[in-house]
Amino acid sequence: MSDTDTLPKSLRARFEEYGSRKIAMRKKDLGIWQSYTWQESYWQVRQLSLGLIQLGLKRGDKVCIIGDNDPQYFWAQLAIQSAGGVAVGLFTDSSPPEIQYVVHHSDAVLVFAKDQEQCDKLLEIQDQVPAVERVIYWDDKGLWNYNEPWLVSFGQVQSLGRSLDAEQPELFERLVDEGSGEDLAIFCYTSGTTGLPKGAMISHRNLIAGADSNLQIDPRSDTDEHMSFLPPAWITENVLGLAIHLRSGMVVNFPEAPETVRQNIREVAPQSVFFSARQWENMVAMVQVKIIESTWLNRFLYKIFMPVGYKVAALRFEERKPVGLLWRFLHMLGELAVFRPLRDKLGLVNAKSAYSSGAAQSPEVIRFFRAIGVNIKQLYGSTEAQTHTLHIGDDVRFETVGVPPPRMEIRIAEDGEIMVSGPTVAQGYYKNPEDSQKAFPVDEKGQRWYRTGDAGHIDSDGHLIYLDRMKEMLTLAGGEKYSPQYIEGQLKFSPYIRNVMSVGGEDKPFVTALINIDFDNVGRWAERQGLAYTTLVDLCQKPGVYELIRSDVERVNRTLPPAARVRKFVLLHKEFDADEGELTRTRKLRRKLLGEHYGDMLATMYAGADQVQVQAAVKYRDGREGVVETAVRIATLEDETSEEKQR
Amino acid sequence: MIQRDEIQLSAEGVSLSFAGISALSNVSVEARQGEILAIIGPNGAGKTSLLNCINAFYRPDKGRIIFEGHDLTHLPPHRIAGLGVARTFQNIALYTGLSTLDNLMAARHLHMHAGFLKSLLYWGPARREDIAHREVVEEIIDFLEIEHIRKAIVGTLPYGLRKRVELGRALAMEPRLLLLDEPMSGMSQEEKEDMARFILDIHERHGKTTLLIEHDMGLVMDIADRVVVLDFGRKIAEGTPDDIRRNEVVIKAYLGEDMTE
Repeated sequence: MSDTDTLPKSLRARFEEYGSRKIAMRKKDLGIWQSYTWQESYWQVRQLSLGLIQLGLKRGDKVCIIGDNDPQYFWAQLAIQSAGGVAVGLFTDSSPPEIQYVVHHSDAVLVFAKDQEQCDKLLEIQDQVPAVERVIYWDDKGLWNYNEPWLVSFGQVQSLGRSLDAEQPELFERLVDEGSGEDLAIFCYTSGTTGLPKGAMISHRNLIAGADSNLQIDPRSDTDEHMSFLPPAWITENVLGLAIHLRSGMVVNFPEAPETVRQNIREVAPQSVFFSARQWENMVAMVQVKIIESTWLNRFLYKIFMPVGYKVAALRFEERKPVGLLWRFLHMLGELAVFRPLRDKLGLVNAKSAYSSGAAQSPEVIRFFRAIGVNIKQLYGSTEAQTHTLHIGDDVRFETVGVPPPRMEIRIAEDGEIMVSGPTVAQGYYKNPEDSQKAFPVDEKGQRWYRTGDAGHIDSDGHLIYLDRMKEMLTLAGGEKYSPQYIEGQLKFSPYIRNVMSVGGEDKPFVTALINIDFDNVGRWAERQGLAYTTLVDLCQKPGVYELIRSDVERVNRTLPPAARVRKFVLLHKEFDADEGELTRTRKLRRKLLGEHYGDMLATMYAGADQVQVQAAVKYRDGREGVVETAVRIATLEDETSEEKQR
Repeated sequence: MIQRDEIQLSAEGVSLSFAGISALSNVSVEARQGEILAIIGPNGAGKTSLLNCINAFYRPDKGRIIFEGHDLTHLPPHRIAGLGVARTFQNIALYTGLSTLDNLMAARHLHMHAGFLKSLLYWGPARREDIAHREVVEEIIDFLEIEHIRKAIVGTLPYGLRKRVELGRALAMEPRLLLLDEPMSGMSQEEKEDMARFILDIHERHGKTTLLIEHDMGLVMDIADRVVVLDFGRKIAEGTPDDIRRNEVVIKAYLGEDMTE
């Protein structure tokens, strides 16, 4: 498809294919979905692009865009690219100094700024960005009385373009033809946690490869709907939104306002959705709150059918067993009474694929959505290389981030760092050869890789397990790396574990874990087992409870390389306590203090004993202090507690 | 068309007392076409009483209110609304059981012409009229950035948003004079700034005369064209914000009170 190796060429191809017969975009405005056909979209871009030429834009020039998800954002980007320019997206919440940095660093000659809010920020830094010829806005609210020649409207630029089009009607097509897949399409500035932001240079070929690879995994038809609400400055919206729109003809819908995304997504009911792990979690919480506030009938149906949903989902996805007729019948009723209405409320009623990204997704959330008929898949990626791995089809596993998409390669470096290679790897960082060389090494075969800065390893089925950022990894005495956060995070997914601190380090030969059981859940489990207990101190030392937790630790161990596995753990007789300074007020571990409080216990664990006598000082709620004395058992996991034995 | 700078509203020698306690004594205020006039003053200075006299919630004991040549002093409030005066209230007066949209649509009744029977049938002219009103209302929703609460029941909204809806309702009446009673009270700094921006935009876009009451001097001094200061029911100063900032009497009456708060 060399004739459509750039985004503007793809736009032209769709325009020729559909013309005015098909809707390309919709935007909710004044309460009504307004639609734009491919023909309208093409002419908007064409006039705008020629207007930019009139303003002096040349091939290779950079243009910044700052604004919400609007058709004008996409048109601006395509107009810039049609003229051979590079679009540099900025986040709408950027401060004037942040905008100044990117505008200046990217050598932008023009800036698109949506509205008064963004224009005001640019006016504030006008003196510091002398290279910027004009700022172009597309929402004039509040700008009526601005008398700033620096600001021009979208419409004004398009009318400049119309007159150029009348003089040279073949110019636009020629400009589009001159573009090539190797041209840079966008810069995505990454919000580097350390140092200044870096501008990843992404070519048309990169974007198109990302879109086509995603389409191979999740084919989309030109009647599919997309909801554009991820920041358009972000690589994800560029690939999953704009590029797929241009490749497949999928309709892009723009929300009325950033605050109305929830409502608008329900009206649109897209086929493919992409939320952060946190957003999925929030949806579960929202459903639970709404159900409590709902009518008794809804509460009753929810109570009856959710367990059916959970049961059938467990059979299908976890136990991989056939679902019996009775369950299937009940599930059908549940689908009508609860699951479908819930999916409808969440805008997921047509969702064929649902992705989660940004953090490990808790199995609870995945199970909830499976129960109502949405199979959430993990997607792991970066600005610099797009999608590294994802869950494909029904091969979804809680502990992994999936497998590389077609034409993508994953390699684990000597030090445990995840490296990726493929057609979506960016061209480097703009004006930063030093970091580019470090982040994008070329191997002996001449293949370019991207160093993700993440640690992970590949399991026996080829799934990638993501551990942590490289710099968060700790080293054991033997030189092996391990990730305390990964172990703790994964263990806390167990309903029986309330809190946990894993311990290791350069003076420790292996990893250990101090675990707080969840008293309520373990207590309920013990009751079901007919296990008698009195207090937490008593319950946590029952052999049965140790076995219960041991299976959780083994589950996590199975996802880890042998050296990084938890070898010994204890179930603590008292919880980590914020009142004693062991936790921060946001319930994060204070590792150093915990290390001191439990110093003797840890020493005993590493010495090889099988139990430890403890005298823990306790501060009661009324301020009195007391001492608890008890023996805490130390559980040891043997080396071969790994996959061989379990499978 | 009325000229800018022409007096649009004048309160002449207004006095009002409750059971012998004087709320306003001989207050005269003039609002010119297209200006933002702020009336400020400490608590109990008589700001809201004056506003209530203007749209006939109270009848002044003495003096009169003239709006575009009409003597408002003895007109009922709905007639005054019909003449093009809309107001918002310090303690928000909306239909709390209705949605934002319905509240704004209700304000359009002033401009509705279809009779009872036609409206009931929702046919022909009535339907077209409804659509036209909805367009006006949607413009206001867009203008005030309240799309996300279009269908939300007003009673469930947070305070700052309710204030915005109330402003929207006043705008939906397409008034020529807008009376705003403490539009920023009880708001966070950010909400206050948003509200100030809306008031400026309304003024800029439509050149509406806006009479604004505020207890808090801060933002009001930035957006008002002229300021009138009341204290204990008397007008103690009038002028541009800069004049007022420098006015000794005001500083004593107003800032002095602030310092003891």
